[in-house]
Amino acid sequence: MRVLLVEDDQMIGAALQRGLAREGYAVDWVRDGPAADAAAASEPYSVVVLDLGLPGRDGTRVLASMRERRCDTPVIIVTARDGREDRIRGLDLGADDYVVKPFDLDELAARIRAVTRRHAGRSAPRIRHGPLTLDPVARTLTRDGAPVALTAREFELLHTLMQRPRAVYSRQALEERLYGWDDSVGSNAVEVHIHHLRRKLGAAIIENIRGQGYRLGEAA
Amino acid sequence: MRSLRSRLLLALLAALLLTGVAASAATYLQARAEIDRILDYQLRQQALALRDNHFRAGLDPDPEQDVVVQVWDRYGAQLYLSHRRRPLPRLGELGYADVTQDGERWRVYAVSVGSELIQVGQPLSIRQKMAADAALRLLLPVLAALPLFGMIIWWIVGRGLVPLNRLAASIAQRAPSSLSPLPVAGQPSETLPIVGALNDLLARLEAALRRQREFAADAAHELRTPLTAVRLQAQLLERASSVEERESAISALHAGVERAAHLVDRLLLLARLEPEAMTQPFAPVDLAALAARVAQDLQPVAAARAIGLSIRATGQAIVTGDRPALDALLRNLVENAVCYTQAGGRVEIGVDSHGGHARLTVTDNGPGIPAAERERVLDRFYRCAGSPGHGSGLGLAIAGRAATLHGARLELADPSGHRGLCVRVTFPSPRRGDAAPAAETGPGNAVPVAEPGS
Repeated sequence: MRVLLVEDDQMIGAALQRGLAREGYAVDWVRDGPAADAAAASEPYSVVVLDLGLPGRDGTRVLASMRERRCDTPVIIVTARDGREDRIRGLDLGADDYVVKPFDLDELAARIRAVTRRHAGRSAPRIRHGPLTLDPVARTLTRDGAPVALTAREFELLHTLMQRPRAVYSRQALEERLYGWDDSVGSNAVEVHIHHLRRKLGAAIIENIRGQGYRLGEAA
Repeated sequence: MRSLRSRLLLALLAALLLTGVAASAATYLQARAEIDRILDYQLRQQALALRDNHFRAGLDPDPEQDVVVQVWDRYGAQLYLSHRRRPLPRLGELGYADVTQDGERWRVYAVSVGSELIQVGQPLSIRQKMAADAALRLLLPVLAALPLFGMIIWWIVGRGLVPLNRLAASIAQRAPSSLSPLPVAGQPSETLPIVGALNDLLARLEAALRRQREFAADAAHELRTPLTAVRLQAQLLERASSVEERESAISALHAGVERAAHLVDRLLLLARLEPEAMTQPFAPVDLAALAARVAQDLQPVAAARAIGLSIRATGQAIVTGDRPALDALLRNLVENAVCYTQAGGRVEIGVDSHGGHARLTVTDNGPGIPAAERERVLDRFYRCAGSPGHGSGLGLAIAGRAATLHGARLELADPSGHRGLCVRVTFPSPRRGDAAPAAETGPGNAVPVAEPGS
């Protein structure tokens, strides 16, 4: 999953980027409002982590313009402002959650999982598909209760497909969801991960829709 | 005597008593004069009656009047004495006379009848007693009424002090946090100055308290950022799986702690620049010497960023102030300039005297501050857009506060002839003529600061 991190503080931004990358997210980090606007408008992020105290363009304005563009990507506000009014204003502007500094990396990760889960229209934390159970918290996949070993990218790819079982993703769309700006993507990287997933979970697990892309298939 | 009420009570009762006594004394004197006149007349009438009345044997004067009647013949032989035990001496002259006999004073009237002398006498003590009675008749009711007066005074004074009590009660009932002014309406003119002074004090307290509260809130708010960084860095350290990750996490954590400590230092410095926190009296400070020391201290920092730091001092500039505060002022201005000027830039400290005002300037050729933002940069924690995120946002706020503390004016201006920022601090002219005369000595030479140890 790709996360857009909007944070002007060098130290916090660097630590968050590293910490979230360890959780398996591809994190794009921008440092000011205009860059956040541009990034949110052009890339398919699963979630935006937005600091409010930005130089140049306030975070609430970034959020407002996102919602004006009918961009419904979940937004988690991260701020040092903990006043009741601030929270209410942030949530009313269309934020999905609110984290007050100083926060915990685990807490932020849990909130990111919660808002992406809700965004996909689910309330249960685990995603089931036939005999498969995907646990985004523990980042594990089981088949009939038996664990299946996946790499981080394989897990993310399967997670993306399982979140919206009937959606068709182009190769580029999957790449955009799996890789941040800083990741170097091989020309056939997505195909390689799909190949590995099919080997581990059966060839039917990912359907190839000709001319369009990929979709979740039957689990063996 | 603490109570206004009992003090007033005693004073008023004493005044009343004094008035009563004075009135009695006046009455006594007046009564004495009147009684003397009347009783003298009676004495004379008695004597004349005796003269005209040849029937002396049956003479029986009023015992209450205590009048002694004596009659002598022409040879001086006493023919009659009304009171055997109280003989008066025979006086030679006729008419009224005062006589002292056996320690008692008498009033005597003598008249001659043919060859006989009739002398009528009366002790003066009778007259004194009558006058004293009259005086006492006046004084006694006053004395008797004193307790009543006391009660009336007690009540009236109590009523008069009601506004004061009401004021005390309204102050006592206030919530400890309430610093709103006391109501002025309905106060008598005597308590108005008290209320006015109290309201003044409350307003000043409120302002000081508000400053403190805002400062604490801002400080707590601002500390969250470095604390967030430290927390995240600590968590990354916990999760580090390789030696490299571990080492990089440790150095990041060090930097985070360093930054938090730096912010706390700045906050403390800012807190010490509150007028309430000033403990040392102001003393003369030589700005040129101050500039030299600050420049020497910061030279390594500037050198590390390849920034040329120099001093241009013209004339003498001595201000009356707090040395640590002035040091903080200049140090923060220079640090700020060094921090925001690009590598290879220049920062110049200027010390001069302009129209009797000592002046400090710090000029750089960095990016400058847009005119629209110049007012806000003096606010605590304000950072310009696009500025490197590591400053505490307090440097200019500290300088501004220190300037205010000295009654100095801090201005941000464009440097003449090049881009950048010129921060100018103009001090008020010294009150006494003890500072050096403000002489415009013309442009001096920019002197590069010596490297420490060179």
